[in-house]
Amino acid sequence: MPKDSYSSWFNYWVLGLSVFLIFCFVFEDYIQLPLLLSWVGKWHPLVLHFPIVLLLGLAVLNLLKKEIPPILFKVTIFLTLVTAISGFFLATSASDKGDLLSRHQWLGTILALLSVIWHTFKAEVRAKKFLANSIPLLIILLVLGTGHYGGMVTHGEDFLALPKKEGYENIPENPLVYQDIVRRILNQHCISCHNSNKKKGGLLMTSLKELEAGGDGGPAIIPFNNQESEMIRRLKLPKEDEEHMPPEGKKTPSSLEIDILEEWVALGASDTLRFYDLKETEPLALLIHELMTPAAVAKWVDLNVVADTTISRLNTDYLTINRISNLSNALVVNAYLPPHYKANQILKLHPIIENIIELDLSGLPLGEAEIGMVAQGKNIERLELDGTPLTDNQLDTLTVLGELRLLKVYNTKLGDKSLTLFEKFKNLKQLYLWNTEISAKGLENLSKKSSSLRIDQGIEEPYITFFSTTDTLDLSNKE
Amino acid sequence: MEGEKNKEENPLKVNRRHFFSQLSVGIGSLALGSLLIPDLFKNQSLSTTGITELGIPHFAPKAKRIIYLFQAGAPSQLETFDHKPTLRKRMGEDLPESIRNGQRLTGMTSGQDKFPLMPPAIGFQQHGKSGQWISDYFPHIAKIADEICIVKSLHTEAINHDPAITFFQTGSQISGRPSMGSWMSYGLGNENKNLPSFVVLTSRGKGNSQGLYSKLWSSGFLDSKHQGVLLRSGKDPVLYLNDPDGITRSEKRHLLDKVSSLNKMHQVETGDDEIESRIAQYEMAYRMQMSVPDVMDISKEPEDIIKLYGEDCQVPGTYAANALQARRLAENGVRFIQLYHQGWDQHGNLPNEMAGQAKDVDKASAALVLDLKQRGMLEDTLVIWGGEFGRTNYCQGKFDPSNYGRDHHPRAFSIWMAGGGVKPGISYGETDEFGYNIIKDPVHINDFHATLMHAMGLDHEQLTYKYQGRRFRLTDVAGTVINDLLT
Repeated sequence: MPKDSYSSWFNYWVLGLSVFLIFCFVFEDYIQLPLLLSWVGKWHPLVLHFPIVLLLGLAVLNLLKKEIPPILFKVTIFLTLVTAISGFFLATSASDKGDLLSRHQWLGTILALLSVIWHTFKAEVRAKKFLANSIPLLIILLVLGTGHYGGMVTHGEDFLALPKKEGYENIPENPLVYQDIVRRILNQHCISCHNSNKKKGGLLMTSLKELEAGGDGGPAIIPFNNQESEMIRRLKLPKEDEEHMPPEGKKTPSSLEIDILEEWVALGASDTLRFYDLKETEPLALLIHELMTPAAVAKWVDLNVVADTTISRLNTDYLTINRISNLSNALVVNAYLPPHYKANQILKLHPIIENIIELDLSGLPLGEAEIGMVAQGKNIERLELDGTPLTDNQLDTLTVLGELRLLKVYNTKLGDKSLTLFEKFKNLKQLYLWNTEISAKGLENLSKKSSSLRIDQGIEEPYITFFSTTDTLDLSNKE
Repeated sequence: MEGEKNKEENPLKVNRRHFFSQLSVGIGSLALGSLLIPDLFKNQSLSTTGITELGIPHFAPKAKRIIYLFQAGAPSQLETFDHKPTLRKRMGEDLPESIRNGQRLTGMTSGQDKFPLMPPAIGFQQHGKSGQWISDYFPHIAKIADEICIVKSLHTEAINHDPAITFFQTGSQISGRPSMGSWMSYGLGNENKNLPSFVVLTSRGKGNSQGLYSKLWSSGFLDSKHQGVLLRSGKDPVLYLNDPDGITRSEKRHLLDKVSSLNKMHQVETGDDEIESRIAQYEMAYRMQMSVPDVMDISKEPEDIIKLYGEDCQVPGTYAANALQARRLAENGVRFIQLYHQGWDQHGNLPNEMAGQAKDVDKASAALVLDLKQRGMLEDTLVIWGGEFGRTNYCQGKFDPSNYGRDHHPRAFSIWMAGGGVKPGISYGETDEFGYNIIKDPVHINDFHATLMHAMGLDHEQLTYKYQGRRFRLTDVAGTVINDLLT
């Protein structure tokens, strides 16, 4: 009797946990865990090692036709279920569920349920020779698969790969297009099969010469000629095509990377070309710029947390504060001129000033105090001060803004004294500067001196002339 | 005990007692699991991820606002941006059936026994470093060829104006859905709380016109605060916005406070959310009394700006005036500014009417792009120029190369976009040599909407509104973001 009641209790537990597991699997998206259960989830990385060892052990015992002690079997099943369920608890805390995690969950769930079925029908399984062999084998495969995906989730996708790989970090300020950009793209996607050890299709891709020499299919690149460059042609084939490169199963380059390769070949596949040699409007320049700009959101993860209540408290009819995107602590602030302006409208931004990324104060009669506070916004990347009474001295206090990339100061009273100040902004890339009191000569000098700073000086004269003298063709009056 | 033993032998042999006790464990586990879903029995959206919180972009946007220069009536792609020399070579020949391929026609040309190919009555040149083909009707837009992205492969299903323009505006040919400006307002909220987030300006050319109805900027089933507000030209941009003579602003304030307290009582009684937005709209109207005249006043615009947009921009109600106004509204934080210019429906007399229409819009459209650019606003303002469908490559009515017409054509037409995260100086998509069918990179209107929303930081599949038992989207059940258009 005691044995039976213990056994039936165990069966109830297994049934209950299995149903619960299936429930978690189906309704995962809707589950919100109490704190205690989230904590249980944190044990997943610890307990998972037991079922791995135990399941593999049982499977091997079974394959060797050895008797499995019932208690060991029971403990294994129980721990497997607990592991799977705790895994779901852990997964609910993941902010963004990727493919890897889904696959891990699928495999884990199937594994747990399969082992429950194995245990429940162990007599039948033992009786049938085919099942007796295939189920343990399947279990072994599932353990390996689940474990591998789990490993990829925690340790990164390439945790088993040989240590190497170059990303796009640490690209120099003015990179050599071939050496610092193209090379890295090829290293990531092509070199593993086209190096001196492997040389697939007779093609080597470790140097520019080898690319031009090509392989069995002809030259990989022909400068200025994308149509006949084998590499570009194959990159652009549909994925299903036999000749598409990289072949099926290998990671394909992003469309950005492909575009860069294409534009680089179109411009002559030079190895001496530098980023700054390109015109800003050149597609290749834009593409490289994009590659070099770190994913915007990642940049702002270190910002202090701002509560929704703070944001809504500070919002007024004439001051709009918003998150740059959902769940981000980076803020965008737009101020508008109320009927009666008071400095306090702006000064009250002080508590969140370090979270502001974009600040638009254009057209406001700003005073010394407001500018002083803006100068504390060390994360501001975009600042619009056009149409304000900004003075040269005030601009000087703003030069501490090290993250500032874009500054709009058109329609202001800035004078020649400000010319030297723009160079003090460490990261300033774009400046809108027209209708000021700066002399034409000063402006010319400034734009000559600073190569990395793009200065917009209003609509260029030829346009103004053309637009004010030329009328659109008028045939309607011809009759 | 008997049961246990049976079960050991064959797990499927279960007696009733065991069945029930196991069932209770099973259901108990389900119940336990359901405790983990907080809102399971509440009548509200199941989404607890917070991904779709309203008023905040889903991801960092490339564009913060859209200026849509809608050319109502459908300008011909063959006289604007889709250069097809074959039409001249094969002028007068009948459109091959292999090309038409069963395309349904409107009642206006379905009776024609011949479909003679008609070349444009105007030349095309390549412009800018990008070498984009632009017709000579548009010398000013040609000047900004390197700023714009011409999409030559838009297509739609509708062949008549009303369904087509309704489709463009709302994502459905049948009216009643919210306009895209309303969706943007719903998803992103106001940037400036003293102006509506969706503003409409209309103008009319001398060409053959089709009607515009307020349903095109209606908020449909969305909250009425997302409705497009039509700004009229002249003294009263918004009707009934000004106080009557003898009423001071403080008296108006008292009135509003009283009305709003009455409205709140009514809301407590009925629980109707629309009352809330009614109160908010009274308040906004009160603030708009100050902000609108300010925005609409172009007297302080410097002379070179006036010259840039053309002298017309000083005449209220013209396209040029609206274009300048659009820039001022954009500066003041309006999310979606929609201009409509009527008169592009050239069933006949196309060369003359087209020239007149181009004269209305060419300079001001290009000026708007340049003006936005010098203010650093082009990078976060998306400008779109285009109509609701294309026009046939064959002649409607009498065959006369100097005075012809073109019927409606849904299978391919061209628009251009500038700024706001769209690649400058490129052409996207291609039509066949007759300009009839798309042969490369088609863009359906749903795709176009999805792409616009993406530029604005919205996931078109996430921004939904539940109405009549299902969740609606601007793109309904279709639409793919065309990443190749975006930077």
